[in-house]
Amino acid sequence: MDLSQLPQQIVNGLMLGGVYVMVAVAFTLIIGMLNFLNFTVPALFMLAAVLMWAILEGHGIALDLTAIAVLLVLAMMVADRLQQARLPPPVKTVGALGLVAGACVFLWLTLSFRPGPAVFAWLDGAVGAGGRWFLGIVVALATVAVLSLLIERFTYRYMKAKYGDATEHALPLVSSLGFLIVIEHTVISTWGSDALTTESPFGNASFEVGPVLFSVPQLLSLILSLAIVFGLSVMLKTTKLGRALRSIAERPDTAPLMGVEVGRIVPVVYVIAGLLCATAGILFTINYTTVDAYIGDTVATVAIAGMVLGGLGNVWGAIVGAMLIGMVEVMSIYMVGATFKKIPIWGLLLLILIVRPTGLFGHTAIGKGKF
Amino acid sequence: MADNVLSIEGLHKSFGGLKVIDDVGFAVKRGSRTALIGPNGAGKTTVFNLLTGVYPVDEGTMVLDGRDITRVPAKDRVIFGMSRSFQNIRLMPHLSTVENVMLGQHARARRLGDLLYPLGLMPGNRWARAAKEALEDAGLETYPGQVVANLPYGVQKRIEVVRAMISQPKLLLLDEPAAGLNQVEAQQLLALLEKVSASGVTLLVVEHDMHFVHNLCDHVAVLNFGKKIFEGTPAQVNDDPLVREAYLGSDTSMAGQQNAAPAAGAADAP
Amino acid sequence: MSGYLESQLIILCLNVIYAYGIFLPAASGQLNLGAAGFITIGAYSSAWINASGAPMYIAIPASMLFCAAIAFTIAFPILRTRGVYMVLATFAFAEVVAGLIINLEFLGAAAGYPVESHADYLVVVPVTILVVLLCFFLMSTRLGLAMRSIHDDEAVATLFGVDVRLAKVAAFTLGAALMSLGGALYGHHYNYIETQTFNVLLSIYILLYVLLGGTQTAWGPLVGAAFFTVVPEALRQIATASGHAWIADSRFIFFGAIIVLMMVFRPEGLVTRTMVDRAATPFGGGRSGAAPAARTA
Ligand SMILES: Nc1ncnc2c1ncn2[C@@H]1O[C@H](COP(=O)(O)OP(=O)(O)OP(=O)(O)O)[C@@H](O)[C@H]1O
Ligand SMILES: [Mg+2]
Repeated sequence: MDLSQLPQQIVNGLMLGGVYVMVAVAFTLIIGMLNFLNFTVPALFMLAAVLMWAILEGHGIALDLTAIAVLLVLAMMVADRLQQARLPPPVKTVGALGLVAGACVFLWLTLSFRPGPAVFAWLDGAVGAGGRWFLGIVVALATVAVLSLLIERFTYRYMKAKYGDATEHALPLVSSLGFLIVIEHTVISTWGSDALTTESPFGNASFEVGPVLFSVPQLLSLILSLAIVFGLSVMLKTTKLGRALRSIAERPDTAPLMGVEVGRIVPVVYVIAGLLCATAGILFTINYTTVDAYIGDTVATVAIAGMVLGGLGNVWGAIVGAMLIGMVEVMSIYMVGATFKKIPIWGLLLLILIVRPTGLFGHTAIGKGKF
Repeated sequence: MADNVLSIEGLHKSFGGLKVIDDVGFAVKRGSRTALIGPNGAGKTTVFNLLTGVYPVDEGTMVLDGRDITRVPAKDRVIFGMSRSFQNIRLMPHLSTVENVMLGQHARARRLGDLLYPLGLMPGNRWARAAKEALEDAGLETYPGQVVANLPYGVQKRIEVVRAMISQPKLLLLDEPAAGLNQVEAQQLLALLEKVSASGVTLLVVEHDMHFVHNLCDHVAVLNFGKKIFEGTPAQVNDDPLVREAYLGSDTSMAGQQNAAPAAGAADAP
Repeated sequence: MSGYLESQLIILCLNVIYAYGIFLPAASGQLNLGAAGFITIGAYSSAWINASGAPMYIAIPASMLFCAAIAFTIAFPILRTRGVYMVLATFAFAEVVAGLIINLEFLGAAAGYPVESHADYLVVVPVTILVVLLCFFLMSTRLGLAMRSIHDDEAVATLFGVDVRLAKVAAFTLGAALMSLGGALYGHHYNYIETQTFNVLLSIYILLYVLLGGTQTAWGPLVGAAFFTVVPEALRQIATASGHAWIADSRFIFFGAIIVLMMVFRPEGLVTRTMVDRAATPFGGGRSGAAPAARTA
């Protein structure tokens, strides 16, 4: 083993940790607030990465998918309003049927005419190549944000009423797995399950400090992701929203009594978590230029290990844990070999869960009751 | 000591600095029907939880039928001859009524042969029959696949008593068995407990309804703020100045309940 | 039997065996997301024992014993964790197993491992039937009753004398042995195994079969595995036959959507306790409904 490479490996570990940080924080936010392991997090990470790839590579169908996602959520919101509105039941029924019919027509039109490529070509011509960048980021963020609202409804809102006994705490977990399957297979049936590559936009920009090579995009993403996460944790500490979030996390039963509108706050948490994953996904595509439908399973689940290491529900813990896991991964690849990396990562997770389930940073009572 | 089924000495328990049980000691005579009463939050349920091993005790000893159970694990205490019902109904929501009662038989079926006996495949087996009979004795009709969650509160309360009873305990701990029951149901419960008591089981009952206590019990211990403040007969309890003071201003007015007109069936109460 | 039907029957049987392996702990309230780990252990250990000279009929039971021993050992620490922690711990366990196997040269490492003896459907189907019968028997016993009680209310089960830890360990270990059996049969049927086949998605799918089938009765995993194996395949057949290949390609999207909708409209799974009882006594049944008990801790 060549020890002169060690500083470089440490830097690589930090860079990789930077990818995990945002995903780990996304996991931890939802677990901390709602006590549930959200398996849509890896799916949303993957979706954002693939959408970014697709737009960079000029696949207009990505726009169609986005349109369908937006439509689904809009229909859902209108349906909610309709249900709450004080209208006679027949009007509601007609409205609901109309909504479903409208959605079907839209879906059919989109799927048969596929307007995405045309729109895309037009945009490409009007804005130029740099426009893809902008478009990719906007589409990935918007799609994930909108899907987060959909996911919130089906993993949380519509399920609340049925809580109350032992099996049912697994329900949100199961529906999040359902979403994972839907999103993964949407990507697979659109672009296949093989590796998808694009050009690195920044080229291989890099600079050296002593023996260590820093890749510019990687460094920028690390700084960006840390800045976002730090900003988020400051927000959680200082703002009114942050206080509301913490009161739901700590006392879900009494939070409503203290004037916290749980029903309005929870979607916000989902969207924040979704945007974190999406940013991580976009940065992943830019940095590594190769994505596939399974990076959610292979990359983002590692962030779970980081999150547990830091303690469930603990944002600062998730940051440190994710960096640590990135380091463990790079070091074990460096010292033993790439096939070996699963053992230290998941072995460490197993050990932590058994020996010190509260994580490295002490007590959080969160995540114990439900799944 | 043989005439005491249960004797507790010097019991202490705190939850995070809050003293909930403070040097409590009392004895329950074999065959007696003892009531444990006290205002809300006095620590009655906590005494039951300590007895059954839900929480470990901080200090003190508990002797059940001549054997020290203070350090016995919770799952084994029922074998020593003690079972309980719960203040908040704790029936198993996914088990049928008969199955819930059969859970009460678990302590008597610990051999491998009993554990692996296919109860569900033999509808007429002796365990199921015993459970059904016990339910019928308590005046509860059953039908196959009856889901406990849908039964009226009063019926669920009584199923809990039957479940505790069927483990054939020497000492039966009942935590507010009559709470939430209407007059008729309370009478049925009283009759059931009379029958249980007559079969030689000792009763230790936590109950707020003093009328019920007067009808059923022959001995009373009173807790207040984790301390025992009185022990004696139901007739004496009202005259005790400490007890009066403890209840003064609390929502359970003993005087009021004691003066309530005795309901039908009260004649055979002691 | 036609080759196609046979291959589908084998897949169904394997899924049913796996599902019962996850069902046993799930029936006592434990979510196990480590199916892939136990299946891998079963497949590889049986293949290795077989390659070392023992016939399949010895290799498979031996692999079950081996896997049960491992499960028993890890059950004590893992079952100390609860809820989401247990989901994560079992998940991590499966990943560690995959990480180990892929580094073991004598098991073929990343290149996969050929399996000698062949097990056709004449072995797989009867074994599956035996597994199903065993699980039905088990759930009908007092041990099964204890497991279901633990699922509903662990604390109360303890107070009635149920050895909660023993029951949980037994369910976990027995489930692991069943998954090992499934893995071994997989290896002997396809005569080739590689760790990548037994991945997270497999664990997820098996857990879903069980939860969607319902954990209240032994019918749940059977119905769940059968429904979610047969329906997507049938959908694929119909779609391809009628020229709508895109439906075949996107059948898993429908599968996922069905899962999401089921959690809203029928969260207790396809088969419930009440349903089975009512089917067993068509005229004796009484009031219905499945409103959960209003319970406070
Ligand atoms: N697990 C616990 N942790 C902390 N405090 C507890 C716990 N259990 C009980 N307490 C406290 O101990 C005190 C006594 O409670 P307990 O339930 O024994 O009262 P009780 O006499 O049964 O009252 P009630 O008549 O309302 O049922 C209360 O102040 C309660 O808040
Ligand atoms: Mg009480």
